[in-house]
This record gives sequence, structure tokens and C-alpha cells, in this order.
Amino acid sequence: MEKYYGQFGGQFVSESLMNTLGELEKAYKEAIEDESFWKDYDYYMKEYVGRENPLYFAKRLTEKYGPKIYLKREDLNHTGAHKINNVIGQILLAKRMGKTKVIAETGAGQHGVATATGAALFGMECTVYMGEEDIKRQSLNVFRMEMLGAKVVSVTTGSRTLKDATNEAIRTWAKEAEDTFYIIGSAVGPHPYPAMVKKFQSIISKEARKQILEKEGRLPDAVVACCGGGSNSIGMFAEFLNDLDVKLVGVEAAGLGIETGKHASAMAEGKPGVLHGMCSYLLQDDDGNVKIAHSISAGLDYPGVGPEHSYLKDTGRVEYVSITDKECMDALLELCKLEGIIPAIESAHALAHVFKMAKTMSKNDIIVMCLSGRGDKDVHTVAAYLNGEDMNR
Amino acid sequence: MENRIDKRLNELKGEGKKAFTTYMTAGLPDMDTAIEIIKAQYEAGIDIIELGVPFSDPVADGPVIQDASYKAICNGVKLENVFDMVEKLRQDCEVPIVFMMYYNTILHYGLDNFAKKCQNVGVDGLIVPDLPFEEQKPLALALDACDNATYLLQLVSPVSKDRINMILENARGYVYCVSSMGVTGQDKAFYANVENYLKEVKAVSKIPIMMGFGIRTAKDVENYKDIIDGAIVGSYFIKYMESNNYDLEKIKEYVSTFKKEF
Repeated sequence: MEKYYGQFGGQFVSESLMNTLGELEKAYKEAIEDESFWKDYDYYMKEYVGRENPLYFAKRLTEKYGPKIYLKREDLNHTGAHKINNVIGQILLAKRMGKTKVIAETGAGQHGVATATGAALFGMECTVYMGEEDIKRQSLNVFRMEMLGAKVVSVTTGSRTLKDATNEAIRTWAKEAEDTFYIIGSAVGPHPYPAMVKKFQSIISKEARKQILEKEGRLPDAVVACCGGGSNSIGMFAEFLNDLDVKLVGVEAAGLGIETGKHASAMAEGKPGVLHGMCSYLLQDDDGNVKIAHSISAGLDYPGVGPEHSYLKDTGRVEYVSITDKECMDALLELCKLEGIIPAIESAHALAHVFKMAKTMSKNDIIVMCLSGRGDKDVHTVAAYLNGEDMNR
Repeated sequence: MENRIDKRLNELKGEGKKAFTTYMTAGLPDMDTAIEIIKAQYEAGIDIIELGVPFSDPVADGPVIQDASYKAICNGVKLENVFDMVEKLRQDCEVPIVFMMYYNTILHYGLDNFAKKCQNVGVDGLIVPDLPFEEQKPLALALDACDNATYLLQLVSPVSKDRINMILENARGYVYCVSSMGVTGQDKAFYANVENYLKEVKAVSKIPIMMGFGIRTAKDVENYKDIIDGAIVGSYFIKYMESNNYDLEKIKEYVSTFKKEF
């Protein structure tokens, strides 16, 4: 398997993990060539996660904004986001490899909840690493994980967010790889993780592509998804990558605005770096230290991005843009009021960009957007934002 | 010029002695004192100094070195300052210096500039824990272009197994044998079977092998003395210096005691 996407990707981990990654790659290759593995995966996707989920025609948004807007409803999955697609895939792999424990990092808590859910389902011990800052922002998800039997470890180093939770998960993994499987939730990390996450998340675009052809008889003009580490977006883009007439747009978090420096747009500063086992675009200061990302959305609050996204940016196949906290909150409230759907703050970034794009498109154009998660977890953040509290440290 | 690591390790071999190495984070408690600490250790008989270049995300390190790294960054320590520090030290001190640092710091500085700078100021070796053998080529080429004045040192771990031959084939300086799984500074939790592992490495290696991770005193490595050529103390040394308020006499005492007992 190819370890790199152009200059990006690779395996920048300690020597202690190299054989672990080798074993993982081997097991993964065997699994994806094994029909019975996919039979299991499909079974859980249908019976447990509740797939396929709808590609919903957002009629009132369409009336207001112009082009036809379709929402891929990942928010309707069990556990409330796309994260479960990947967790089921990786946990089935962990079982195949005879591992008894799983660990995960989480930002918004959606991946942590999905992992805790999967671990409960398959009877595995589960520890989730979460930044202290995110624990405060996402207390509901912390409680959910604990109810599901997982141990949530508060990470108090560095920026106390997803980046640091990932550092701590990597450290634990290096110590315990012999019986522990590390379930990475985003399209990041050393090879083969980015490839693996893409594979398990590509079910989003497999369904969406089929659904839009059924509904409209043609491919969409644009596909839009939000992009932190980039798991929902790589899953949403995967099956459209070869449809060159379909414009693909990844939406990063601009936080308080790119020009303020308080943002989470790894692509915006255009400097490649090495973090969390991969080479990719990375926010860093003038000495190569990783900069703290800023976003109102815990799930996008990450200074890096998956290596394939960096590659897709460089090749020009995907356009990456960014949306500020304010723009995303306006879009979030709009979706609540016009369609009766409370989206995750992460997904609302994609929506805000859909509204912007719509202005330049015609009524016959079609936009498909990934509504990656539901917003129940975010109600406290939204309330605080509406009260005018400072949400951006 | 002969690499200072080779020179020192050859001398020790001739004398039938073991090498002792300490790790300290550059710029703690401050740049000038750090230079004094290095010189004090040299007087006390240290063979090699590992200098940690602070990085924001030290994933191979445990809490002690993470904290030290964080403090150094807060003190404003940058790679350029660490180069300045070595340059200053080199005016009157020839102790072998090894940088322990993360790859992004090097990448950000620029591979060629970095290699040249190391050569110019007199850095003898590099340990880059997040740069496994397969990813080393770009950096190795840059060092090669500077006549390999600075060695890229190789690490092996207890689970390296069939990778050992590949890693050691062209290794230079010394081999860093990680004694336990995980990160630095887990007190004395050596890998089960660490002895067989060290023997395996020793059998293959054409250069001296050093053991590191979780070592505090010479007693900790007593059982492996006949296999290894040296020992490295990191987290414990940092804690020791902190708790003794960076007292130079205390530091000398620690180094000479370890050296003597080893």
C-alpha cells in the first residue's frame, strides 16, 4: 500500500510503533479483501447504525437560497454523527487482530462516544483521551461515554484540546500496543490510518452518489463538507473524486477570522509539517512549534488536517475555504428555523459555505452537503454564544 | 575532523570503560546556567551530553520531559538559541553533544540549513524519536552533503526484532537501545526480557550500544553491564537537577558517582 499522498502522509512515529503499524497494515489489507469482513460491517451499518440514512432535499433552504440543496443526514446515525461508521470498521478489525482494549482521542466527543458505543457492543475495555478544555465544552458527551462504560481521561497538557488528547493517546498506544488497538477518529495519523478512515467513511459518498442519481438522474454540481482532521469530508468526497465535473469543497474553521490568527484552518497558512505521525499542512509558529487552533467548534479545533486533504488541495481537485464562528452560528440557527434540524456546530460550517456558494449558482444547480452530526451536544455552546460570552479563549 | 562521539567512545573502549550520558532540556533553568551545567558535568567525567531541543508536542516523552520542554518554550528557547549555546560552549569545551529533538523542528528550519548549522557549531549527533528508519532519507542526504559531520543516531526498541539488521547496517556513533515500551521516564519498568533484547542488538551492532529510558542510578543497569557499552539518564536527571536547585556541585556528584559505580 502507498504510504504517501504526494509529499504528504508517511509514518512519523517512534521505532516502538513501527512493527505495530506493520501488523496493522497487514491485518487491514487482509480484512478489506475478505468478504466476511464486509458482510459484518454492512450488517452493523444497517441494523445498528441505521443506514442507509436519507439524502434529504432541503426544500425551504432551496426556496430561500436558489440551487437545490441536499443534506446527507449523517446526524441521523446511531450516536448522532458520522464517526460511528469508522469506529465499527476499526473495532471489527481490532477484534480480528485479537485485541481486547481500545483507546481513542476525542475533540467534540462524538468520536469518543462512538468508540465507547462500539466497545460496549463488542465487549471491549475502552479509554478515551479528551482535553480538559473540551471536557468543559462537551460535558454531555463526557457523561454519555461514562454511561457507556468508557473511562474518560482528562488531558491537561498543552492547549488541552484534541491535539493534546491525540498526543496522550499516542503515548499510551506506544506503551500498550501489544493488547491495545488505537481507534483514530479522523483521517489523520500515520499510514494506514488515513487510508483506513477514508475506506470506512466512504460509505457516506457511496450512498449519497447513488441517492442523488436516483433523485435527480444526474451528479451534483458541488459537494460540500466541513474539514477539521477531515474524516467526514474525505468520506463525502471519496466516491466523487473521479467525477471531475463535480466541484468538491472542504470547509475549515476560520474561528475569529484567518487574519486574527485565531483560527483552525491548517490549509490557510500553507506550511507543511509533521505531527501525529503524518506530514501534512500544519499550523506552526516561527520555530516549528505547533500553534494552538481556535474554533467555537471542538470538532474542528485541530491545527492539522488529514494528509490526503493536503494532497487534494495541492492537486486542485478539492477547494478548501473557511468559515468564521459567526458565519457558522448564523447558518446553524437558519437550519433550525427553516428545516427543523439542529446541526452540529462542525456541520454548520459547511452549511454556511453552501449559503455563500448558492449566491453564485443557478436554480437548476445541485449542492450536496454532508450534515455530519446533530447539534444536541452543542446546545450549551450555542446558548453561551447567544449570551455573548467569549467562546474563543 | 573525527566525530567527538567516535573519539570519546574509542578512548573508553581502549580503557575498558563504559560511557555515561545524561539528557537535559536546553535552556533550563536558563541558557548561561545550562552551559555551566554542561561544563560541570564534563569536569565530573560525563562522556556525552544529550541536549533536548524543546518542542510543543513531544509524543515520545513522559511527563518530566514534557514539562521541561514546556518550561523551556515558555522561557523563549528556540532552536537558534540552542545553536548559539553550543557555539558558545565550543569555545572551550569539547564534550560530544547530541541533539534530541522532534522532526518538525528540523523540517521547519530547513533540512540543508539545519545540517550546515549543526556542522558549523559542532553538534555531533542527532536523536529524532519520531523519525523512524524509513523516513530518514531526506535528513540523511542533507547530513551527507555536510560530510556527515553530524551523525543521525539510530534507535532500536524491544519490539524492533526483524528490523534490527536493517536499522543497524549503516548506523554510526552509537545505538540507542530503548529499554521499555512507551515514553521516557517511566521509573525502572524495563521490558520483560530486556536482557535477551540487548544481547540481540549487541550481536548485530558494529558500534557501541547504549541503554536508555527509565534509568536512575548505575545500580539499575548493573545486570546488563556486560552487554551494553553505556547508559543514558534523562527524566531522572532532570528531576534531580530541579530538586537540587541546579546546584553544580550536586550535579557533579551525581555524574561522578554514576561513572564510578558503572
